[in-house]
Amino acid sequence: MRRYIARRLLQAAIATFLVITIVFFVMRLSGDPTLLLVPEGATAEQIAALRHALGFDRPLAVQYLGYLGDLAHFDLGQSLVQRAPVWLIVASRLPYTMALAAGALVFALVTGIPAGIAMAVWRGGVTERLLSALVLAGQSLPTFWSGILFILLFGVSLHWLPTSGADGPASLVMPSVVLGALAMATFARMTRISVLEELGRDYVTAARARGLSMGAAVVRHVLRNAAIPVVTVVALEVGNLLAGAVIVETVFAWPGIGQLAMQSIFARDFLVVQAIVLFVSMVYIALNLATDLAYSAIDPRIRGMA
Amino acid sequence: MRGSRVLAIAAVAACLSAHHAAAQPKTELTVDLAADAATLDPQLQWDTDSYSIYRNMFDNLLTRDVAGKIVPQVATAWHYTNDTTLVFDLRTDIKFHDGTKLTPEDVAFSVKRIVDPAFKSPQLSQFDQIAGAEVTGPAQVTLRTKSPYPALLAQLVKLSIVPKAYVEKLGDVRFNQEPMGSGPYKLRAWQRGVQVTLDAMPDYWRGKPPFASVVFRAVPDGPTRIADLRAGRADLIRGLSPDDAEALKSERQVRVLSVPTERVAYMFVNALAGPTADVRVRRAIAMAVDRESLITALQQGFAKPVNEVLTPANFGYDADVKPWPFDPVQARALIKAAGAEGAKISFLTSPVYDRRLNEAIQQMLADVGLQVEIQMMDQPTYLRRRQGTPVEAGALSQGRWSCACQDADGVIFPLFRSGSIWSKYSNPAFDTEVDAARATLDEAVRKTHYRRALDILREDVPGVGLFQDVAIYGAKPQLKWTPTANEAFFVMDMAWQP
Amino acid sequence: MRPRVSFGIRVIVLLIVLFAAAALLAPWISPHDPLRQSLLLRLKPPGSATASAGLFPLGTDDLGRDLLSRILYGARASFIVAILSVSVSLVVGTLLGLAAGWFRGWTATLIMRFVDAMLSVPAILLAVLTVAVIGPSFVTLVLVLGLTRWPRYTRVAYAATLQVAGLPFIAAAEMAGADSARILLRHILPNIAGPLLVVATSEFGLMILFEAGLSFLGLGIQPPAPSWGSIMSAGRQYVERAWWLTVFPGLGLFTLVVCVNVMGDWLRDRLDPRSAGR
Repeated sequence: MRRYIARRLLQAAIATFLVITIVFFVMRLSGDPTLLLVPEGATAEQIAALRHALGFDRPLAVQYLGYLGDLAHFDLGQSLVQRAPVWLIVASRLPYTMALAAGALVFALVTGIPAGIAMAVWRGGVTERLLSALVLAGQSLPTFWSGILFILLFGVSLHWLPTSGADGPASLVMPSVVLGALAMATFARMTRISVLEELGRDYVTAARARGLSMGAAVVRHVLRNAAIPVVTVVALEVGNLLAGAVIVETVFAWPGIGQLAMQSIFARDFLVVQAIVLFVSMVYIALNLATDLAYSAIDPRIRGMA
Repeated sequence: MRGSRVLAIAAVAACLSAHHAAAQPKTELTVDLAADAATLDPQLQWDTDSYSIYRNMFDNLLTRDVAGKIVPQVATAWHYTNDTTLVFDLRTDIKFHDGTKLTPEDVAFSVKRIVDPAFKSPQLSQFDQIAGAEVTGPAQVTLRTKSPYPALLAQLVKLSIVPKAYVEKLGDVRFNQEPMGSGPYKLRAWQRGVQVTLDAMPDYWRGKPPFASVVFRAVPDGPTRIADLRAGRADLIRGLSPDDAEALKSERQVRVLSVPTERVAYMFVNALAGPTADVRVRRAIAMAVDRESLITALQQGFAKPVNEVLTPANFGYDADVKPWPFDPVQARALIKAAGAEGAKISFLTSPVYDRRLNEAIQQMLADVGLQVEIQMMDQPTYLRRRQGTPVEAGALSQGRWSCACQDADGVIFPLFRSGSIWSKYSNPAFDTEVDAARATLDEAVRKTHYRRALDILREDVPGVGLFQDVAIYGAKPQLKWTPTANEAFFVMDMAWQP
Repeated sequence: MRPRVSFGIRVIVLLIVLFAAAALLAPWISPHDPLRQSLLLRLKPPGSATASAGLFPLGTDDLGRDLLSRILYGARASFIVAILSVSVSLVVGTLLGLAAGWFRGWTATLIMRFVDAMLSVPAILLAVLTVAVIGPSFVTLVLVLGLTRWPRYTRVAYAATLQVAGLPFIAAAEMAGADSARILLRHILPNIAGPLLVVATSEFGLMILFEAGLSFLGLGIQPPAPSWGSIMSAGRQYVERAWWLTVFPGLGLFTLVVCVNVMGDWLRDRLDPRSAGR
């Protein structure tokens, strides 16, 4: 098992390296931030001078090696746009990102999974129809629209929740629900399918024949087996919740790394984008490894296959 | 790294427990801006949001009054000893937030710091005509320019005075995180990406600041800023669109403040490449655009017509220059004459620019027989192409230009002088005029040169002035404030009347 | 054995067909030119009519264009983007997932690590980065959406293939001398098609939303050409003042996505041999 983990970690390091290299070069294909930094009236010579001062006139390979060298010393560098250490810029956003991702995940799990189970157990009934309509609503509205509707309803008209920003648990509610709605639908549908699949298996029929109630059968046997695909999906969603919350963060003025990443891409603040990608991909890979280990725990057949 | 994470978590905890002070009397002003400050060092970034925040923490050498006239601040008086030497007399009663006196050394240091190439200030090009700054008396500083430079005073309005000893002690990186000046407000906390909180200096030399504290929040989405204002979460918001302003007019809890700015909305027309290289096509474009409709229907009247690519708020504006009339029939005939009917014209733009204006212009040009293709790209790509070779720059684009110097030199020179990165136009006669206007301090002579330059531009149409842009703010009705043409954002000029 | 086609499903199929027909026939059934502006007729409410311009059944947008016509044309753009990008990612993702799950070993490691690398950067960031570099266009959009979303299919196909491959009937088929391709196509693909179809149908809706999100960021289908996303993101500034700009395309989007998802679930239930009998 330890060797397995070590091998996976090595593979993960290679994957991260791949990602960071791709991002490094793709970003630099699209120019550098010099033009965004200078005043509108700057002359070509002034721009060239600033570009030189910032080091963007060096060959790409030199910049790349320099970056890797810094990275090897755990130095993420200094943002040329904000003139501050990159770790400070990213780290000050992390708590907000974690809070929003956790809020959205909790919302999605506590609504999505029970909904999915209910939809499977009461398949074809009114309950399923009602639930699926509700669940699908979360997946069929652009968040930039539902977000502003939420703000107008709960913030402006009812005064229940703060309209924007990040002070207090109350301001976490709306962004979590709007962001979680998408994941909720995914969880519900995946759970429904997995549970349905398991319900069709012989062992369930056998258990039911032995007189076990549906509820008991679900709790004792089905959930455990139905968990595999659901766990996969949850792990997949976390990466998106971390840095993919761009639109929700923009609408609710939530200072997470999604918003930061977007602003940094548009500002060509390379080092900040790279640091975020590095962070998200490390989290993702850790979760992924945990998922694989969870697989083997749930279903011994899979062990050693990957 | 670990320590910082703990700090960051503590910061969130602090922000989670903070709550807004009750409203009687008004102690805290909350302002919604589109973004957080990029830097708080006033000599680095100068995007509108950073600028709005840090300028409240510093004093400036000079400033502008509500009418736009350059008036004293740290400097009390100034005079030229020759065309390139300017002497400033300074106040002696100003103190930085740590209690130390603001001295001529600080002023000279501030100038030298921003023009030092090693400092890599993005603002360098506004000040790089300055050759040196020396302390020439106990309350006097002398600036030298490389050549006669008429825009110098206008540029110095943007020069914040930073404390020499403090900056040297902390170094540039830390000064950016813990800036300190001599202005009416000092920094309490900077929660990156969230907000900047400033505290008033009660014994500030120009009087007691109007609010005990000010919070600048970063709220990127326009509709959310409006919701904040309506829900009472913000007292003042920036960047309303004309349609927003129209909609808010009926709200009793909100007041719309607006002011014509020195920002000119204009259309760039490429004179060096593509179908628009033909001057007939450019003139046809100028006649095809119905600026009156743009102003009344699209801008809801939040704009003023201009006769050139310049606003009345700029020195050098001339109301006697006759703009091309709106005449689609004549435009169509010109396009036919130029053999450009149905020609494909590329219109470069980015999400920064008003989408509706692009599309409206596209339609107006289609009406006279030009097929305009809007090419959207993100801002850095747009800038690279717009400032690139004439072929890369596309035939048309829309812009809103402000030099924050209220002088024609900051507008038509960079936009149309051949050799400038923005210019896709070349006319030696025009170059001669703007060069001459730049080389003398005599205002009457400069005006004459600009009048001639504007007449040349009118005939050659390398750009079309659309309108003078209006800055629109939303505020609580109690806030008393007269916004200014240079879009300055001094809390010191505001007041609260319950 | 075949499940009865219920009334609900008939309605849903009918709705999807209607949407497709509307998209297809947009040029013939639109009351107005979707690009024709009239600055004097901005933001007119549904049902407005003028003597010269005629009736605007769903009102006009912020440049005075007919909203109904724009929604009909917009359906086209949204449909085509969603169908093409889902097809690209479904094919690419499934093939790689099947290969990884069947051959295991080095092939699987290589494919799944690539999947990890792809998945570890959120799709929206990848999309924005790529669109920013290449510049937004219809083709860029389809390729970016298609090529950033395939890893989801790969993971699902991989997990499902692993499960199915371990089942006794596959071993039996192998022992009976069937070759890999035959087993993959005849035995494994039908058995994993259920989860893949579910992913594909929910991705269909997501793609429409994704395009909308990119429009919000200014990088979607380019104006003045309409898509549901671009109509809505332009209309959200007028959420209260001109509610019709977001509500009508929003309703269209909602209905279509729900229909496709319900269809997906139903198809899955039909295709899945284990649940078909119940």
